[in-house]
Amino acid sequence: MQCMANEGRHSQMLRGVLDICLLAVLDAGPAYGYEMTKRLRERGLASVGEGSIYPLLGRLERDGLVETYRAASNGGPQRKYYRPSSTGRLALAVGVSEWRAARDAIDAVLAPVKIEVVS
Amino acid sequence: MSDFVEQCRTEWKRLGVPDSMAEEMAADLASDIREAEADGISIEELLGSSASDPRAFAASWATERGIVPVRSGRANRRRGRLALIAFTGVAATALIVAALLLATGEPKVGLVTSGATPPPHFLGATASFVPPPSRVQSSAAAPIEWILLCLAIVALGFSAWLWSRWDRPRVPMAPA
Repeated sequence: MQCMANEGRHSQMLRGVLDICLLAVLDAGPAYGYEMTKRLRERGLASVGEGSIYPLLGRLERDGLVETYRAASNGGPQRKYYRPSSTGRLALAVGVSEWRAARDAIDAVLAPVKIEVVS
Repeated sequence: MSDFVEQCRTEWKRLGVPDSMAEEMAADLASDIREAEADGISIEELLGSSASDPRAFAASWATERGIVPVRSGRANRRRGRLALIAFTGVAATALIVAALLLATGEPKVGLVTSGATPPPHFLGATASFVPPPSRVQSSAAAPIEWILLCLAIVALGFSAWLWSRWDRPRVPMAPA
């Protein structure tokens, strides 16, 4: 039960910042869907929770935050590559700033809490 | 191609996503799933809980991309409006016809329930129209004009009720 509650919180927190995370990994260079998943895993985000990145990529594309083009992947088939647009880079900068402010505020609230594990 | 991708393709077709876009998304998704499986990553790890519901996943992806056509809903609404206009027109015409027939004072014509022969005075009164004797007769009990008038009034009332509901603003549905 407790584990399920934690998973729910994890998903909820991710839902609010996953778009920023995708823009962040795309800022390192254009990527196709699965390549973005690999970059997220390499940076420590192994699971994207309840959703998946595809609908979110669709929204970023619709909102003009990413640009797309088709090209052959390494020896593989043609893939759809994504890269941040200028608007997307601006959204990334704003998003990172907001995240850091929220993280600092929450850290300040949680800092006095002492966690003791009783075995 | 995996069953998951096939189900996504079916859902996109049902939603009216353009074929070229559905084909593109299906091909990209299939390539990603193949590459992930080659790396030892299951479809559940790749897509999270969406892996258990391909239709919801496909609908969500297409909706977020903004490629689910909304014109089908508008077309249905336009067809409904035309049907309602036609219904109101027929009801109003029936009301006018019934009122004119009642106002002219012509002999009343009613539907026959038995094959009775019309009386001689009926045939004499209508020189230009002689109805078949097995179908009609003079009737004071249920003149068709009154029936038509009642039906027209009921139909117009129903039509007015439909129009009052039609003009109410609709609450837009939240995106999936």
